[in-house]
Amino acid sequence: MTDVKLPVLAEGVNKATVAYWHKSVGDAVKEGEDLVELVTDKATFNMPSPASGVLKEVLISEGAEVSVGQLLARIE
Amino acid sequence: MTSVIETGARPKWLNKRLVLSPIFDETRSALNSLRINTVCESSRCPNLTECFSRRNATFLILGRNCTRACAFCSINKGLPARLDTEEPYRLASAAKRLGVKHVVITSVTRDDLEDGGASQFVACVKALRELSVEITVEVLVPDFAGKLLSVDKVLASGPHVFGHNMETTRRLYPALRKGADYDVSLSILKKAASFSPNVVAKSGIILGLGESEDEIRNTILDIREAGCDMLTIGQYLAPSSGCEPVHKFYRPEEFEFYRDMAIRAGFKVVSAGSFVRSSYLAEMMYKETKGC
Repeated sequence: MTDVKLPVLAEGVNKATVAYWHKSVGDAVKEGEDLVELVTDKATFNMPSPASGVLKEVLISEGAEVSVGQLLARIE
Repeated sequence: MTSVIETGARPKWLNKRLVLSPIFDETRSALNSLRINTVCESSRCPNLTECFSRRNATFLILGRNCTRACAFCSINKGLPARLDTEEPYRLASAAKRLGVKHVVITSVTRDDLEDGGASQFVACVKALRELSVEITVEVLVPDFAGKLLSVDKVLASGPHVFGHNMETTRRLYPALRKGADYDVSLSILKKAASFSPNVVAKSGIILGLGESEDEIRNTILDIREAGCDMLTIGQYLAPSSGCEPVHKFYRPEEFEFYRDMAIRAGFKVVSAGSFVRSSYLAEMMYKETKGC
């Protein structure tokens, strides 16, 4: 099981908004594949999946805000 | 496949891919432990994870507070820091720890200092030289309030690349770069370009601040006429809500258009694109200029 947490996007930027999940719960995902799109005041980021497996759980839904270090999803 | 969030009409091509690498954390903690400021952090640069994962960082010297208040910049405006004589050594230590072969040094503007901070640039270049003769050094200097003696001083310390960013077009200077002067900045570039064949002059502009195509063309031509061989052209992204809003998001093909324009104007190497910043992939750009 891999915990997917919000990484540091840019310095001094502690929060981001989840804009779009490229995968749904139950989908297979490969390490390095686009997983989630995150929006900050300055830019939009695509976060690659940190692991290969199946997306088991999505904890932050589209439109919600998330802090650096907070759990976004679980991959098994 | 559209986002559910209204991203202030931020277009799709402005999606920066994060790089997840343990080297990112290593770079960050090395810089933190040596109390090194970087413009990467102060400007909230979206390329942070990519560059730090490559052990690339642009060192920001002379403190965190700037004595100017450019409308496009997120660096703190406030009381300038006391001159830190240990800084050049910490900077050299950081370069050593990161194992970098090309170092970029920039600074906040220091109108409070007699020489605008030139001697600190010199001390940093020296400290890097003492560390290794192999390291190539790129300085990206402020305008030193137009004091060309300061420019001479920095040039004499022997950087490989001497950068000074024009940032925007002539018309927008009074509104966006208060305290700066378009012709003064050009004269700094002229001075650098004519100093020695061993020093490459470099400049950068950011688009999206309300400039017209003609104004961009004139700025590119002015920079070339000053003798610069390297140019960067990037997209302005408002670092915070207090900054100038983005007037336009340029499309990738528009960056290509201006890149071609600059190449035709005679620049040796031009880097243009939404996420291009003045020291983005600086080492690669320098090598390309030198043909190696």
